[in-house]
Amino acid sequence: MTKNEVLKSWVEQYSGPLLKRAVYLLSNKEEAEDLVQEVFLAAFSSYGSFEGKSQPLTWLNAILNRKAADFYRKKYKSEPQINLDHFFDETGSWKSDSVLNDWNVLEKETELLDNDDFNKTLEDCIEDLPARWKIPLKMYYLQEKKAPEVSQELQISATNLWKVLQRSRMQLRECLDNNWFAKL
Amino acid sequence: MLRKLIHILFLPCSKATLLMEKRNAQLISRKEDRQLSMHLKICKWCRAYEEKLKILDDILKRKRSHKENIEINDSDIQDFKNKILNKLDI
Repeated sequence: MTKNEVLKSWVEQYSGPLLKRAVYLLSNKEEAEDLVQEVFLAAFSSYGSFEGKSQPLTWLNAILNRKAADFYRKKYKSEPQINLDHFFDETGSWKSDSVLNDWNVLEKETELLDNDDFNKTLEDCIEDLPARWKIPLKMYYLQEKKAPEVSQELQISATNLWKVLQRSRMQLRECLDNNWFAKL
Repeated sequence: MLRKLIHILFLPCSKATLLMEKRNAQLISRKEDRQLSMHLKICKWCRAYEEKLKILDDILKRKRSHKENIEINDSDIQDFKNKILNKLDI
């Protein structure tokens, strides 16, 4: 197959999965389409460096991660400022006892993920996070929790990546507590 | 009062919960790991939080299907394909 034929078949086969991943990362359809377009343009111009050692989709996903990181860096030029005042008082102690609420889910997490209502609640909670935290959080999990890679790609300091993860997870905890576990 | 004092002197909860992220990623130093373990021994709030952190981590790891609030349907994908093929001129 010629380069054009290969590229054409990739566009046919992988537009769907790439768009879904991009929408997941950016939570915005137009921005996601622009991003995947850039991925294909980059794949077209650097086709020579694709050696066929990995699956095409793996290669394209890696380009997508880089492009998403570029997008993030351009959009947020400075380091994120993380404030924990909502959760901790001036001595750094928990403000609320809600963290003690019993979720009572050990051993039942698989069931939870099979539950459509729970998934909807979880997705709403994730989407409620500011994009500035949400993108690093999602990249962290998409890239199998390789924190150094994620912080390097996004060019935020290692410490700030931990803070972003900490702050996001605190909010997810509270959101799920309010909207799911407290209602059971 | 004593609890507050201990927390301020050794490690406040706001910092302990940060160390939990590092421990969760297996990128915590030995010293930090000891500090965190000591903190958890005396703090039931952070123990409760750590349990939930593990649950959240597990849920986020396993959440492979990203069913989205924003729908991308087949006709969107088809439109996109046409646009790209046009653009790449192939």
